[in-house]
Amino acid sequence: MPADAILGVEGLIKRYEGLLALSGVTFSVARGEIFGVIGPNGAGKTTLFSCLVGSVQPNSGIVRFRGERIERLPNHAIVARGLVRTHQIVRPFRDMTVRENVSVGAHFGRARLRGAEAGRRVGEILEKTGLVRKAEVLAGTLTIGELKRLEIARALATGPEVLCLDEVMGGLNPSEIVDAMKLIRSIRESGVTVLMIEHHVHAVVGVSDRILVLNFGLKIAEGKPMEVVRHPEVISAYLGEEAV
Amino acid sequence: MKTRGVFAAAALVLLLAAPRFLERGTLNDIWNVAFAVILASAWNLLGGFAGQVSIGYSAFIGIGAYTTVLLSLAGWHPYATLPVSAFLSAAFSVIVGLPTFRLRGPYFTIATIGVSEAVRVVAAGVAFTGGSSGLRMPAGSFDFQRDYSAMVVLAVLVVALAAWIQASPFGQALRAIRQDIDAAEALGVHSTKYKVLVHALSAALVALAGSLFAINFQYISPNSVFDFRLSLSIVLMPIVGGLGTVAGPVLGALLFGYLQIKLLSSPALRDSYLFLYGGMLIAVMLFEPRGLLGLYRRVRGRITRSFSRPVPDAG
Repeated sequence: MPADAILGVEGLIKRYEGLLALSGVTFSVARGEIFGVIGPNGAGKTTLFSCLVGSVQPNSGIVRFRGERIERLPNHAIVARGLVRTHQIVRPFRDMTVRENVSVGAHFGRARLRGAEAGRRVGEILEKTGLVRKAEVLAGTLTIGELKRLEIARALATGPEVLCLDEVMGGLNPSEIVDAMKLIRSIRESGVTVLMIEHHVHAVVGVSDRILVLNFGLKIAEGKPMEVVRHPEVISAYLGEEAV
Repeated sequence: MKTRGVFAAAALVLLLAAPRFLERGTLNDIWNVAFAVILASAWNLLGGFAGQVSIGYSAFIGIGAYTTVLLSLAGWHPYATLPVSAFLSAAFSVIVGLPTFRLRGPYFTIATIGVSEAVRVVAAGVAFTGGSSGLRMPAGSFDFQRDYSAMVVLAVLVVALAAWIQASPFGQALRAIRQDIDAAEALGVHSTKYKVLVHALSAALVALAGSLFAINFQYISPNSVFDFRLSLSIVLMPIVGGLGTVAGPVLGALLFGYLQIKLLSSPALRDSYLFLYGGMLIAVMLFEPRGLLGLYRRVRGRITRSFSRPVPDAG
């Protein structure tokens, strides 16, 4: 693990019944990076995020966050240390307003803010994610684009050092994707390290500093975006053997 | 929030002054409703706010009642036993909650049925509880005026506590747990901790009501305080009134308290309460899952809409 790494993963294995979702994945992420994770459907990307934040326990392997081993900690304890993920299939608290949804993150995340301080922080994040006008609306009534931003807003409200974004651009239209890329860059500007799973290869190549490619639970490439997308194994994984 | 506080204080003053101008029979009815309000509101903290349905709350009533009677027989002042019964009940709730709250799904609900029945059987079987014939409070421990005031004060306090919790970050964590426990965890909510905490708080409040019940009735038996039908009405009151709200359980308790009084005084209807309870539950599930409070809000919304002119859309 390099000296400037904020997150290090070694030999991560996750087995579901009869299926090896992750078969020994190793990589590390530097502080302040935007780190993309791509791969075909079923490559193990979401399982990787679940193992990182502790919502799923890996069978073996090591996850180091700021030097501390966290692979056996429960989800809430990892959030308290500053490593948070969003969900690809959005999971809003539908009977709460947007503001209340975001304040759950502010109240119980790493920052554990209370009272006026929490209110200020929630206000800033609603502003940043473009949800101010929807603040007092029930989350169940939002559009998919707004729900994706709500996922990001809630995760940001926890005060993370590393934010794992799971397909926050899925289902968005082209102009929303441009806005999302801007938002991700601005999150990095504010000092948060970003990991992102993304199906939109153009978007992920556009914003990432480095990219990890998974296929059938294995790392098949890692490096600079333009190098990675020219990698023969990556091309064959996405387009099939004949294309190489 | 302030107007609510004023309203609660006014209600409390009125209820405490009631013995000066109301008959004993009416006061007894108020006492019964206050008892029901405590049970329903306390259950709602766990079952409504946090969405963890327990069908075994008679266990906590029983623990409170037996603790008070046993300690009073050992020479304690009846009211000095209240902290002990609250503490024992909370401790017992942790023993039930810790292993089952870690699991997802209906395990907690199933466990509560078994545990409460086990507690009843034990209370009926061992010697120091007086077995199935029950226990009587020591002579001279009865004072209706005092016991009435205690029950009314506790009822108002429990409702005020529920309102305070609902508005607090703690209440927000409970609502998050109810709606999506994994999403709550993903935002840092330690779900098991909060479930155990609210279960303990709720169990302690119910045990206090059980203690006051024992002090006023002077006689308890496993079939009076550990009755499974009691557990069922504790669940039904908040559901019929409006689950997960502050006013809902109070409404449900008013309705059930009133019905119980009417049914018990009519020999023809005495045994039909299960039929009535079942009917109400089905009606709520079919027509208004948010209970009486939801019905009230819907009707009020219709009325204000039909009386007010449409507002031009500002958006």
